[in-house]
Amino acid sequence: MGTLIVVLTYIAYVFIVVVYSVKIVAWLRMPPHIRWDLYPVIHEEHYRYGGSYYEQPEWWTKPRPRNTWRSLLYSLKDNFYMGEYYERNRLYWLFLLPWHLGFIFIITFHVLCFFAAAAMVAGLDIAAGSAQLAGKGFYYLLLITGGIAFVTGTFGSMGMPIVRLADRGLRNFSMPMNYFNYLFFLVVYGSGLLAWLFLDPTLDEYRTYWVGLITLTPPELHPVTILHIVLFDLFLIYLPFTRSTHYITRILAYFFIRWDDEPNLRGSALEKRILGLLQQKISWEGKHIPKGKSWVEAAIESGLPEKK
Amino acid sequence: MKKTVHVAEFTRLGGQVTELDPAEFIALPPPYDKMEKPPIRTLTDDQRKRMDTTLDGIVAVGLQPPATPEEEKAFIEKFLAGLEKLFSVEDNWTFLQPLMHTLEYCVKCQICSDACPVYVSSGRQDIYRPTMRPELFRRIVSTYVKKEHPLLRKIKGSDIELNWQTLARLAELAYRCTLCRRCAQVCLLGCDNALVSREIRKVFSQQMGIAPKEIHEKGSVQQLRVGSSTGMTPAALKDILEFTEEEIEAKLGRKIKIPVDKKGAEILLIHNAGEFIAWPENLEAFVIILDAAGVDWTLSSEIAGYDSINYGVWYDDVQFARVAIRQSQAAKSLGVRKISFGECGHAHKAGIVIADRVVAGDLNIPRESSLPLLEEIVMSGRIKLDPSRNDFPVTLHDPCNMVRLMGIVEPQRRILKKICPQFREMTPHGVENYCCGGGSGFAITQSTNFPDWRNSVSGRMKMKQVLDAFQDAPGPEVKKYVCAPCSNCKGQFRDMLDYYGAWEKSSIYYGGLVELIVNAMVDLKQPFIQWEWH
Repeated sequence: MGTLIVVLTYIAYVFIVVVYSVKIVAWLRMPPHIRWDLYPVIHEEHYRYGGSYYEQPEWWTKPRPRNTWRSLLYSLKDNFYMGEYYERNRLYWLFLLPWHLGFIFIITFHVLCFFAAAAMVAGLDIAAGSAQLAGKGFYYLLLITGGIAFVTGTFGSMGMPIVRLADRGLRNFSMPMNYFNYLFFLVVYGSGLLAWLFLDPTLDEYRTYWVGLITLTPPELHPVTILHIVLFDLFLIYLPFTRSTHYITRILAYFFIRWDDEPNLRGSALEKRILGLLQQKISWEGKHIPKGKSWVEAAIESGLPEKK
Repeated sequence: MKKTVHVAEFTRLGGQVTELDPAEFIALPPPYDKMEKPPIRTLTDDQRKRMDTTLDGIVAVGLQPPATPEEEKAFIEKFLAGLEKLFSVEDNWTFLQPLMHTLEYCVKCQICSDACPVYVSSGRQDIYRPTMRPELFRRIVSTYVKKEHPLLRKIKGSDIELNWQTLARLAELAYRCTLCRRCAQVCLLGCDNALVSREIRKVFSQQMGIAPKEIHEKGSVQQLRVGSSTGMTPAALKDILEFTEEEIEAKLGRKIKIPVDKKGAEILLIHNAGEFIAWPENLEAFVIILDAAGVDWTLSSEIAGYDSINYGVWYDDVQFARVAIRQSQAAKSLGVRKISFGECGHAHKAGIVIADRVVAGDLNIPRESSLPLLEEIVMSGRIKLDPSRNDFPVTLHDPCNMVRLMGIVEPQRRILKKICPQFREMTPHGVENYCCGGGSGFAITQSTNFPDWRNSVSGRMKMKQVLDAFQDAPGPEVKKYVCAPCSNCKGQFRDMLDYYGAWEKSSIYYGGLVELIVNAMVDLKQPFIQWEWH
């Protein structure tokens, strides 16, 4: 069994990293689009009221200061707050936020487990009573992140189907997959919660498991912990088939669509790319669009019927 | 209890998907809560025979039912072929990434529904949820373009059986969204359900040649044919400008020659030509201000060079690019240094922002809004202004295209704060404003009962905002001014204020920003704003 979970865990992590990467690269490789910005654009100087550089006369002669860090923080902040939901549907927010926090914290917990295990292999003693500060720090950090993940994830997974069924709009747009997800995630988080509360309150078994992964030594664990780990591995394999990439793509959409206010200045690299795209042939069949022509050729023609 | 409308009902043959009940519309303050006429006219039996009206009993597109099963099959096949093009880099690089993102990542959480003025104003009709049309669209894509396995479609709830009527309803539904993009603004996932409306319109237009005639035949096609969607030819423009010069002389007491085709001018002003006919005072005000401030400017008389409109931005990328290129060509032939757009929201967004990635090389002439220029003139003291001449309640409507979609928020406010002592904001305003209800071509769509729907549903939230902004003086004894620096918005206000009898009940008038500036100019002996023109 120990060997199985080592192999399964490696497969799960490799799978999720590869599929997520493929999805994100595919997203990024799509061609530049027509500008479709939406204000406020957070990197703009006057983002507080939604102002843009177009508020200045001859904007192209003026500097366009942009604060990318502010944009990044803004886009990350909502992963932990979800303000629009708080403002507009408080009940939904009450379950949705914990549900998402469960996901963020369980991933964080496992990443920290990896570093903790690596430190243990290097000789660090991780325990509440460790003589080493880093050992104590890791111990409590793991306890906090793991605890939050199991509690919020379980709470959110229980509440989400209830609120979805209770809300007319949400219910109408629900699909069988939504309810499967809630159930599956409840089992994943719930098994972790049970293992933590009743079998492994110090989360020592996780460190043993991660040391086993790093040293390729099959760990000896309690069956409930093993059950949780297997479920978690399946969870990782399943995630790429859901819309979960939105944790990342939502940030990409902010930066590359909503806040993309980069002007197409003469002689710029962007202009070169646009010129290339405009040379592509189009195949639309509307009568006002000429057959077999490129974008540029179609745009130069008026599309009007020829005079007889 | 309100009946829930499921996506599957769009595929049902016959019957209307939703019956609108005016009693469910959001309430307006008295005396507007009691309309004397039915809010939406019922279509005649003949109209119902000729056009598909089975979405909500309203007609914007009005598709004619196919005569034979073969015709229906051909229609569906052609639509599906167009749908595939929407996902190809060659045919749709223009919006591929934002479209794919929305279709892939919208979780249908409904957070956008309450941000949509059409959905809320209608009494929360399910069919107007911003997620409804993308969901219908997504299911068609899943079944007929991606051809996903039936079992997977069942699990994802994305199965659909397509028929002609479903597509007719989809076409109509794409014209129940004003593209104001308030839904996109609140989406935490960066999805844009309004864009899906536009892309559906695009398939119908670019693939099938289907679009409301006011937008296509009488809109962008007419503009490319004669120079303006109004039908105004360059010769007619000349007559109108002569008339404008006479009007200015009568009001100002001196003649101003309007510069046309002036080579090497600093600025080419591209105005919405609809203003020349419907609101000539707007052009007059621009002429007076630019002349008084000593600006070196010109109009163009070339095709599309004297009309800033670009309806393609609402429904068709090719038509959009054609107009954008011709506007740039007009500027290039005159050798101007820059193009400035007059008070027209969609022309701003189309000509300054969207065209940015369509025109290139020597056609990429700097383009800007006229509002910062106007602000500079007003604030610099180049023209003498007396704010007491505008001492009446004024509120500002934020055109979506100019504000939420472009970030031009403060220049117009700084002007109004300087020249209008009783200026007050609507709630909400700025980038969170509500659409006038006439966005994305609705203001010009006049066929059948669509204007009734526009006035009573899509514009209702704006009407409420206007009435709320003037709640300190609701009666007709105090004249009030809604400043709408956009031609399309003004068209909507004209119709909507008339529909509700707002002049008679509350003395609410509407107009542009430049009219208020000129009204405050000390050079004018008489007030420039003529209230009796309501």
